Amino acid sequence: MSLCFIGFLNVFFFWIAFFLFSNAYYVLGAFFLGLVLLIDFFIFNPKGYPYRYVAPALVLLTILVIYPIYFTVKTAFTNYGTGHYMSKEEAIERLLYDPVYTYQIEDEAVEYKVFLAYDGLIPIYDDFLLLFKINGEIFVAEKPVPVKRKGREVLLSEAQLLVIESTDYQLVPRSEDLSEIRMIISGEKTYRAFYSPREEFLRLNAPVFKSRIAQFYLQKADFVHPNGNKYALRIDRTGEWSFLRIERLYRLDLTQTMENDRPKTRLVVVNNRTNRPLIEREGSFYDVNEKGEEVYLIGYIDFVGWKNFARVLRDPRIAGPFLKIFAWTFLWALLSVVLSLAVGLPFALVLNDPKLKGRNIYRTLLIIPWAIPVFISALVWRNGLLNESYGVINKFLLPALGLPAIKWMNDPFWARVGVLLVNIWLTYPYMMTISLGALQGIPYELYEAAMIDGAGKMKRFWNITFPLLMTVIAPLLVSSFAFSFNNFTIIYLITGGGPPIPGSTTPTGYTDILISYVYKLAFQAGTGQDFGLAAAISILIFFLVGGISYVNFRFSGVFEEVGR
Amino acid sequence: MRKFLIVVLVLMAFLVFAQAKLTIWCSEKQVDILQRLGEEFKAKYGVTVEVQYVNFSDIKPKFLTAAPEGQGADIIVGAHDWVGELVANGLLEPIPNFQELSQFFSSGLSAFSYGGRLYGLPYALEAIALIYNKDYVSEPPKIVEEMIKLAKQIDQEFAGEVRGLIFPATTFYYVVPFIFGYGGYVFKDTPTGLDVKDIGLANEGAIKAAKLLKRLVDEKVIDPADNYQIMDSMFKEGKAAMIINGPWAIKDYRDAGIDYGVALIPEPEPGVVARPFVGVQGFMVNSKSPNKLLAMEFLTNFIAKKDTMYKLYLADPRLPARKDVLDLVNDNPDVVAFTLSAGNGIPMPNVPQMGFVWGAMDDALNIIVNGKATPEEAMKNAVERIKAQIQ
Repeated sequence: MSLCFIGFLNVFFFWIAFFLFSNAYYVLGAFFLGLVLLIDFFIFNPKGYPYRYVAPALVLLTILVIYPIYFTVKTAFTNYGTGHYMSKEEAIERLLYDPVYTYQIEDEAVEYKVFLAYDGLIPIYDDFLLLFKINGEIFVAEKPVPVKRKGREVLLSEAQLLVIESTDYQLVPRSEDLSEIRMIISGEKTYRAFYSPREEFLRLNAPVFKSRIAQFYLQKADFVHPNGNKYALRIDRTGEWSFLRIERLYRLDLTQTMENDRPKTRLVVVNNRTNRPLIEREGSFYDVNEKGEEVYLIGYIDFVGWKNFARVLRDPRIAGPFLKIFAWTFLWALLSVVLSLAVGLPFALVLNDPKLKGRNIYRTLLIIPWAIPVFISALVWRNGLLNESYGVINKFLLPALGLPAIKWMNDPFWARVGVLLVNIWLTYPYMMTISLGALQGIPYELYEAAMIDGAGKMKRFWNITFPLLMTVIAPLLVSSFAFSFNNFTIIYLITGGGPPIPGSTTPTGYTDILISYVYKLAFQAGTGQDFGLAAAISILIFFLVGGISYVNFRFSGVFEEVGR
Repeated sequence: MRKFLIVVLVLMAFLVFAQAKLTIWCSEKQVDILQRLGEEFKAKYGVTVEVQYVNFSDIKPKFLTAAPEGQGADIIVGAHDWVGELVANGLLEPIPNFQELSQFFSSGLSAFSYGGRLYGLPYALEAIALIYNKDYVSEPPKIVEEMIKLAKQIDQEFAGEVRGLIFPATTFYYVVPFIFGYGGYVFKDTPTGLDVKDIGLANEGAIKAAKLLKRLVDEKVIDPADNYQIMDSMFKEGKAAMIINGPWAIKDYRDAGIDYGVALIPEPEPGVVARPFVGVQGFMVNSKSPNKLLAMEFLTNFIAKKDTMYKLYLADPRLPARKDVLDLVNDNPDVVAFTLSAGNGIPMPNVPQMGFVWGAMDDALNIIVNGKATPEEAMKNAVERIKAQIQ
């Protein structure tokens, strides 16, 4: 039974790996192969026995943690982002085989006609012949055969144009005029006229020809004339699909360059019309047009080394406001934790008092802010409460108290107060809940002893409750700090980082924390996305948060607590 | 007779075999009509057209994520200013030049052209205009001075219950008509395309417009805290006399029963015409789609045709991108008014560098209306920021 299961697991993982390999995800495929081998080792080797219990966790850890980390680190060293979306291999394949990169030699379309084999009366769409009339000569071509593949995708297929006499095809009736030919006979098989753009009656089949034949077999097909000319299906000036004489724009070539006095052979892509090699720069191919101007063609993902990290540290646009933002981020995380604890803990103390009636109801009500999805409550805060002209606070609350309206979105100080308010509102139930749990664990005898010694309420709290509470919740506070440090959602939803800081050369705002600033830099500001830079910065942030958390743990003496 | 039989049988064979499928991503406005057109296409070609509704602002990001993996739609319907970024990533298929295109407005075609190639088939043009509520405004103001006077009058008369004028003052797109009107520009238009090194957002004209905006805020004609949602919902509730908005919002206002009118955005000074951004909506083909040939066929031999364009117009009444369709719809006063507004307009740049402009300018306007810096400083700083980012 269990063997059966392991067998299935093996098959499943091998299938995943195979699937990934066939779709060119080699690294992920290797991950899965490694995993399945590891699991088998655990199960079939007596030495690995204890490990079999961690195997499921190991699988999830690999897929959900280790691989993403590997991918982030890998991306940080590349220029992956707008303009660099595909592998170099794919970029070159496109330049060489994509129908876009061809040019027409003659504007004059070639006359052609399509013939289909039939099974009784039912057309067989994948068994067809094409007749061409080129310069008065008639050629026949069979279904194009794939010549270049990538995985399962056909990049290019070809068919030879054959002189009728050299084949065993017979035209019925024999004629020099394509429109008169009704059939092509080959031994037992008969191909009947199916489509021609020039014959009114056969034109009716145009949609079928396009959707059943052209779409599947002629999209990326070259028809090669005995003299080497190529013909392919293209939209001509009338908007018709016609066969036109084309030539590929680019070819692959080897060049010799001298590097360090040693000849080095390199593959380059060469423009067939100008015979000039393409310019490759910073992971992009450029061609040179007639006027001598560089024209951007296509970009690919390229390894750039430490460039992204260097940018973070050296580029004044990023490094300039970095300190300012870092200081606010730190303050924001600290205040979020301290203030929400300051709100949550008193509630917990009150709820912990057995004399309070209806504790469950109060507790439920107090937990509500935590239960409502952040996105909803954040938007309610932003549009319903903090809005400067129509928000509840400015429209009803402050005037009722005789206070002037506050610019929640446009005043640096108040915007910061605003985001903190919202974050406290969202976080205090969590603080309250963990405090409640920790309070349960404080033995009542301690209080009794303190009361006998004549300690007052405050003294009891500061000398017994608070220290004992802290030993339990300090690690949670540290993780809460780390979470606030990167709490992108709140900032993004409430102020979007605004109000803007005047005089900055980057999209910086007073309430921007590191992560939202990075987001703006990498995804919002400008020419699209810069995954490489974003990955580099997230690695740096990881070390920052990790470092701060480590110091915090040491500082709060949690490890010693556990160690004792 | 036998020929006839063959044709009939071919058509019957359609019902038997599995087929290629075209997938289209479009926003709410086009879903219904494209589904109907898809049925027509299927009847003729036997190819199922699956129309998927995607939020307008999500189409581009979703396409950017899915298309490189070969998962994107075959055709997306979107705005022309996406073209630069999508082409840079090699995700759009150029549309060949064919006769039918001569029927399209050149402004629409040039908006979708990038690096000398056409990457989208335009179907509607749009530009913002002044939309006013006839209950409060009998005659739309022609110049900004009149608009200010009228807005103040309405503000006083209804004691804040009805606002005279609302538009999002901190959103660049809505302030552009004044900036361009005074002679500001984003990127210099040269015969070889846009020169992204030459930015005209801190020139004399642009600063004049910024000062005008500041004045509107100082005189309490507009509220700097207003955003699109506030403007839209206030007008729908009949609590706004004048707003500046685009043709996409008209249907909602009609449904809300507002007696509205559309007019040109008032001239900032007599003789200085307000020039809004012109946006073009169109169809783009995924270059990594396995069904490129059919997708092209769908565009060139079906969508581009006059009657299809007319149907699209009826479903989504915006200024048609085809000349002969515009002739058919001249009886609609809204379309005429938006057409006039777009006629004064300037196509939104479709270069990827435009991405830097939005954020920088929104921030600059925000700083101006909140008085954190003078209009000159804020505009100059924004241009510095754009230049620093373009490098």
